[in-house]
Amino acid sequence: MTDSPQTLTRRDMIVTMGAAVAAAALPGVEAPAGTAAPAASPPRFLTPDEFVLLDELTELIIPTDAHSPGARLAGVAAYIDGRLAESVEPEWQARWRSGLAAVEALSRDLHGRSFLQAMADERILVLTRMAAGEADPKTPPEHFFRELKALTVRGYYTSKIGIHVDQAYKGNVYQTGEYAGFDAK
Amino acid sequence: MTLLKVAPRLSPDVDLLRTYDAVIVGSGAAGGMASHVLTAHGMQVLLLEAGKKLDINRELRSMEWPYDHPRRGDAPPGSHALSFNEYTIRQPPYAKATAFKHVYSYVGGWSGGDYVKSILVDEKDHPYTGTRYAWVRARCLGGKTNIWGRLALRLSDYDFKAKSHDGYGEDWPISYADLEPYYDRVDRYLGIAGVKENLPHLPDSLFQRPTKLNAAEVTLRERLKAMGRVLTPYRAGVTTDGLKHNKYRSKCFGRGACNRRPGGCDIHAAFDSPTGLIYPAFDTGRLTIRPSSIAHEVLVDRNTGRARGVAFLDSDTGRSYEANGKVVVLAASTLESARLLLLSNLANSSGQVGHNFCEHVMGPGVTGFVKELVGKTPTLDDGRPGGFYVPRFRNLQTREPGFIRGYGFEGSSGFSMFPEHVFETPGFGGQFKKTVRDHAGAFISMGAFGEVLPRFESYVDLDPEVKDRWGIPVLRFHYRFGDNERKMAEDMVAAAREMFEAAGFEVVGTDREILTEGWSIHELGTARMGSDPKTSVLNQFQQSHDVRNLFVVDGSSHVNASCQNPTWTIMALAWRSCDYLADELSKGNL
Repeated sequence: MTDSPQTLTRRDMIVTMGAAVAAAALPGVEAPAGTAAPAASPPRFLTPDEFVLLDELTELIIPTDAHSPGARLAGVAAYIDGRLAESVEPEWQARWRSGLAAVEALSRDLHGRSFLQAMADERILVLTRMAAGEADPKTPPEHFFRELKALTVRGYYTSKIGIHVDQAYKGNVYQTGEYAGFDAK
Repeated sequence: MTLLKVAPRLSPDVDLLRTYDAVIVGSGAAGGMASHVLTAHGMQVLLLEAGKKLDINRELRSMEWPYDHPRRGDAPPGSHALSFNEYTIRQPPYAKATAFKHVYSYVGGWSGGDYVKSILVDEKDHPYTGTRYAWVRARCLGGKTNIWGRLALRLSDYDFKAKSHDGYGEDWPISYADLEPYYDRVDRYLGIAGVKENLPHLPDSLFQRPTKLNAAEVTLRERLKAMGRVLTPYRAGVTTDGLKHNKYRSKCFGRGACNRRPGGCDIHAAFDSPTGLIYPAFDTGRLTIRPSSIAHEVLVDRNTGRARGVAFLDSDTGRSYEANGKVVVLAASTLESARLLLLSNLANSSGQVGHNFCEHVMGPGVTGFVKELVGKTPTLDDGRPGGFYVPRFRNLQTREPGFIRGYGFEGSSGFSMFPEHVFETPGFGGQFKKTVRDHAGAFISMGAFGEVLPRFESYVDLDPEVKDRWGIPVLRFHYRFGDNERKMAEDMVAAAREMFEAAGFEVVGTDREILTEGWSIHELGTARMGSDPKTSVLNQFQQSHDVRNLFVVDGSSHVNASCQNPTWTIMALAWRSCDYLADELSKGNL
């Protein structure tokens, strides 16, 4: 068990994530829109503009808070982009492309400007509209919200940050003594 | 003892000129047990396995974190796992006209499909026809034991003598007393974890140390006790104390990876046929193993009417071979053994081969929310092969008006690596994220497994036209759940809700829908045992009534499905039958 990630504490993780997180985690300090964590490599499927939009959307769904970093630092957009890039289902790829376009269109309808140029509360309003039909989606943006949230959630809660920092998951370790839990009496 | 992580190098050379004492077809629970018992009796055995011998630890990678996998455990693009929806709206063969490169059964769709893509068959190569059926097959050394659910239960005389109890079907030609010593042997040889409960309908095993319960499960256990019902820690076919006689298996360290994937244990604390049975049998020097060997006919000596061997194809080259044996032992699985008998037009004077096909019905279940557990500090709750089991409580001392037989529940509670409730948590943003975190350990769920009645009209036969990739006729299903299963399923839902409400859990999810036929992966009964050769295929030693040197030692021999998971019974029966086989062979009776 070399390089055992289960020993990584939440504090270690936040420290290693650097100052950007610390700033974003401070109440009242808002990271400006569009300041995506610089991708290690350019997006493989999405255009750079689409990628920045997606990155912002994932962070709005799972934001950084005082407890743990959010989707941006967990690299969720890169995860989604990677899945799209290697997909052999063109219809699915097209749905994501048109879904992101629908977000842009909705933002222009509501606020008269691009999503990334909108103010923070305006961006949240766009997402709130999209989420309104979560239980029973009807419009294209509502359908896209479900797909966006599902993959964001999957990307985040399977990431290092999601598993070790946010969820503080205790398993996937060798229990060398007693098993955890209670005896059946 | 140092754990051997490297499998023995299996003999690639098979002497097809010699006559083995026995030729076994299939290397899962039944074929593995036959290999163990027959070689222990000093017999020279050839084991044919249709699939490959995998480097299984490389497939399973049990401790790999999702983020260390390029697709977080998903199978590569172009691979597709069938969904409940596809099984429901389409008819087999399910991979027909697909655009995907590989199609797998639904098990490949669980989180972690990449870890089982070499274990499950590709549905494109292995079609079947007829009524809808979610047929899960694993062609590789060890078969489905590489990924099984590990719930290891005994049957009782409520099962073996079910006809005497309620008048339906047939009794088994054995009783619990006949099988009990062999259950004991299986327990000792392979290891099982659990807690004694002294239930007549779910006999205790010789248990190693049990896994533990968590808070909600303890609450439910206490509450059920007051209702006269039982919740017991998952009886796992897992060695928790270790096995001094087996150098290929470690004791269980409660790592928990077993719970987030379609099974598979790379330290082999969980039983699998290769490390538990086949490698030790190989080490006797009396077992020859030939993987990639697709048996398609049991060969018969025309003069004597006895089996003389097995015809098989090499799955890579397609070349045909014959292997000779004094005895032929089929252990290819309930449906593949029936297929092989039908292909051979053999052992079927009763006309029962393929019939009385039964299994377990599943789908109904509940999810409860335990508000006292909201916001608790995470604990290690999934470091175990399973959570709990609620044994059958219907139609034992009392009679239900709507249905006969019974069902049990499998369930669990607590924190897990992936917070599944995230998909049921609405909204987005900081509040959403906090809710997911606070609620992570606060759910408990359970789902039922119920006995499906064996019926003559539930059967498989050979499709007259469709063939598999190797040109072998495929099975055609004639199988649907009946009224007893539907009534039972309604009762499962009501009973599950009642128990959760009694425990003070808020029922936040109720599954009422029955999953597709086959979903339990517990198919049984296509070559049943019995005392009367006119109404059964095998006798009490799983020996063909028609061909006395032919044995069928897998789940096809079961007379009914019970509601208890079958693997431990398959192995106990195979052990008993192979003891008898070896004795009869030595006496010259075969």
